[in-house]
Amino acid sequence: MMMSGIASPSPRRRKRKRSGWRGVLYIAPAMALVTVFFVLPVLFTVWMSLHKWPLLGKPAWIGLGNYVRMVSDARFMTALGFTAYYTIIVTIAIFAVAFPLAIFVEKQRPLVSAYRTIIFLPVVVGLASASLLWVWLANVDSGLIAPLMQRLGLTNGRINLLADFDTAFLTIIVMVVWKIAGFTMIILLTGLQAIPAELTEAARIDGARRWQRFRYLTLPLMRRTMALALILSVTGSILAFDQFYIMTSGGPQNRMISVVYYIFNQSFVSFNLGYGAALSIALLAILVAISIFQLWLLKVGDERP
Amino acid sequence: MQSGSRQEEEWKVLKRLLAATTLAYGLGLSVASAETISMWVRSGIGESFKEVVKAYNAAGEDKVELTEVPFSELVQKYATAIAGGQAPDALSLDLIYTPAFAAAGQLEDLSDWAKSLSYFNSLSPSHVRLGTYEDKIYGLPLSVETSIFAWNKDLYRKAGLDPEKAPKTWEEIAANAEKIRALGGDTYGFYFSGGGCGGCMIFTFTPLVWGAGADILSADSKTATLDTPQMRKAVDIYRDLVAKDTVPAGSASDNGVNFLSFTNGKIGQQSIGAFAIGTLVTQHPEIDFGVTLIPGVDGKPSSFAGGDNFVVTKGTPKLEAVKKFLEFTYSMEGQKIMAKYGSLPTRGDIADQVLDGLDPRLKVGIEAIAVAKTPYTLQFNDLINSSNGPWATFINAAIYGDDVDGAFSNAQAEMQSIIDAGQ
Repeated sequence: MMMSGIASPSPRRRKRKRSGWRGVLYIAPAMALVTVFFVLPVLFTVWMSLHKWPLLGKPAWIGLGNYVRMVSDARFMTALGFTAYYTIIVTIAIFAVAFPLAIFVEKQRPLVSAYRTIIFLPVVVGLASASLLWVWLANVDSGLIAPLMQRLGLTNGRINLLADFDTAFLTIIVMVVWKIAGFTMIILLTGLQAIPAELTEAARIDGARRWQRFRYLTLPLMRRTMALALILSVTGSILAFDQFYIMTSGGPQNRMISVVYYIFNQSFVSFNLGYGAALSIALLAILVAISIFQLWLLKVGDERP
Repeated sequence: MQSGSRQEEEWKVLKRLLAATTLAYGLGLSVASAETISMWVRSGIGESFKEVVKAYNAAGEDKVELTEVPFSELVQKYATAIAGGQAPDALSLDLIYTPAFAAAGQLEDLSDWAKSLSYFNSLSPSHVRLGTYEDKIYGLPLSVETSIFAWNKDLYRKAGLDPEKAPKTWEEIAANAEKIRALGGDTYGFYFSGGGCGGCMIFTFTPLVWGAGADILSADSKTATLDTPQMRKAVDIYRDLVAKDTVPAGSASDNGVNFLSFTNGKIGQQSIGAFAIGTLVTQHPEIDFGVTLIPGVDGKPSSFAGGDNFVVTKGTPKLEAVKKFLEFTYSMEGQKIMAKYGSLPTRGDIADQVLDGLDPRLKVGIEAIAVAKTPYTLQFNDLINSSNGPWATFINAAIYGDDVDGAFSNAQAEMQSIIDAGQ
């Protein structure tokens, strides 16, 4: 935090200048890492996106050709539509599960740390491993879910969950919620715990009911935490790839191709690295725009909470 | 052709063993005159080639240093290696990729040397055709696999069918499938990987239309010709098999992992690859099976000729040593080793002698070569193999979907647009 003073400007300014240089020195390692591992690759991707860049053979400059192609690429638009659909559904599902869980494990009660650990456990599993596990669970012949439902008499015969869009999509949503909700829960938990107990106490004395306390006290104070959880969840969902690649190979009749999946296919199946790079840049722009919009929506930039 | 995860595990172990042996060979090889060729081979093509290399390293002066690369990453890895100047001298390449690699200008022209071989004309014609680009030969056959039809004799007996009578038409196959399914439980009459495994289905399903004289691409591979009466009939045959519950439900989402379901002993009939004969004989001796050619929709058989081509990286300094090694592979000794481990002979002129004393069912694989086809296109990955390509999508939509006409028109249009975009 900067100290602001008006009384004696000249020595203060010198001091501020010196501390400014020191600040630059402190962040230099971080800046170097960001430059080498983010800025330079992005610039190189931009450079690639302006070429017809096959995996084998020589790249050729085509200017904005890849971007022009993108606008009329129906498959890219379908992938964008599916990704948006998935992001909305899965984010709502994750929050609907994670928020009650966070409230549940916030209070001190017997075995609460055991609950926290159990709920958090799936987060530790890699997404690819989790997908493979669920492929087996959902396998119609040797899995768990379909034979179990048949045995319980819920379905007439065995249903191949991954062969139909709706059931396959539902399976993936359940898998992702199982895998991610614990992480979102922990973030929300830190937000809940940061609310001073005195405030809740005062509200209770003033006669606020449980729902009122939640709506007018907890939620506003949780805004920053929610923004963080929301951005992480939305960004993660937009970049989703593993689950579709591993669990459904793009889904029944290609109906589960996310944007990243499409970029992967263009780059490494069709070997159009240039077009893949252009799509990546477009996705980056979309992600930045969405993140700015979310921060604005939750007014995180404001000083007052 | 396909490699399941268990197989991949085996590969990993083998790879490590192999690395250890190559290292051992490398250390013993300080003798100056001999050369060491570096060579890549894709995973999933069986043991045969590795055994040939072993024999060559044990006998000859030159050594071959083999690196195994997962088949799905071979193209990327090879391209990166070329860019970095680390490319191997030679490569065992899925033959369908040879045109694309040759077109990219990365392969050595072998025309003169190949034509000087006395047995050039008896080399597997599909492989040589795929290895030829603009009248120059860049690839020569290394391993040959054809698709064939297999039936489980035990299940035939249980279902009251004659186990020695090979089905000749799809009407027969469908009738048999129903009888086998009637055994109940988890015994099924037929199997195919219908969940977006383009590679499996081009291998086992297109012979139905090839046998009847149709094809999915025009001869110059510039027009998609998917929507033919023959293909309609083939789709109907498979739809009918599914509708009569003769195919396990898992088929609809099998992306190729369970391609060898026949080996579990509960599938009555399936179109598989000739490599699988070796697998069945050595690893599943309990399964009593017969093989025959895959009938076309009107009964005339056909097959897909797959396997690998041998290609040489452009500008390699060890060209002479590479040629010497390939000549060894084509020798009677080399061919015998290949055949013993499941690869069909690449030389038609000595095929009978090579197969002498081996499992007689391999002969069916050889017969298939004569009627076999392979699509020639620079866009094989995009059109056929990609699990999100038009062919894989078409298979799932046409056989398992509700809108067959839509599946045909969508796939036809998308294939054509991919072909046009690639011109």
